[in-house]
Amino acid sequence: MATSEPSSRRTFLRTAALVSAGLVGSGAISRGERLLAAVGAGGPEDPEVPNEIVAKILQDISRGRPITRGHLSLDMPAAAEDGRIVPLIIESDLPMTVDRYVKVVHLVVDFNPDAHLAVYELSPAVGTVSLSTRIKMKRSTWVRAIAETSTGELWAAYAHVNVTLNGCG
Amino acid sequence: MGMVGDARIRVPDRITRGEIITVNSIISHPMDTGFFRTAEGKPIPAWFIKDVVITYGEEQVARFTWTSGVSRDPVISFTLKADKEAPLTMVWTDNKGGVYRQSVPIAFTAA
Repeated sequence: MATSEPSSRRTFLRTAALVSAGLVGSGAISRGERLLAAVGAGGPEDPEVPNEIVAKILQDISRGRPITRGHLSLDMPAAAEDGRIVPLIIESDLPMTVDRYVKVVHLVVDFNPDAHLAVYELSPAVGTVSLSTRIKMKRSTWVRAIAETSTGELWAAYAHVNVTLNGCG
Repeated sequence: MGMVGDARIRVPDRITRGEIITVNSIISHPMDTGFFRTAEGKPIPAWFIKDVVITYGEEQVARFTWTSGVSRDPVISFTLKADKEAPLTMVWTDNKGGVYRQSVPIAFTAA
């Protein structure tokens, strides 16, 4: 199973970017820092935001709310030889009751031509969050599953997949 | 699986009222991205399922929005709280206006 890679440099960059969030637009900070600051929704150990496209997708999902790792699992192979067929399983321990349920799960694949690959709208009638499917991946990168609850919380799980054969053309 | 749009939905043989069951589905579809060419060099236009609606009885229970990033012959599994005897229907719609429908009854095993 894929796990997050410990990286002191990444953590430093992320922290630096969050600290400098107030400087966005000043022109004094790098492109990467601007991207991180613009999203500002993840924790220091979360995967780096690689480009403007993913930053925009995450912004549209979060609308300023924090995206917190937890309550969601994303199981994928750590290495996929064929990027045309990469299996994944998304599960959650969040309740699925009328009062509080997962209303949507977003699947984002960094660097894919359509990075916002799928959106799964759910309802309490499904009983639990348990989805499995197969996707295409262009190259080795992070995959992000983000769940939004009916009460407005955002929970995420990440998986890094090494892709040998480009599955997107 | 043969023709585009051929679809199957599998649910457990034995279901008791109130149980959360796993629903497995597959539909035959090329899910062309629009980025590939034929051997003769002709572009293959994008042709993919963009929307899946799941209805249980009269109630819409889930809806999926897809891109061509979903693999060819899409499979999707999800769960359902089987609390009534009613048909489970899936409708897949592609970007060229193709609409494909499949349905299975949810019926309970006598106790």
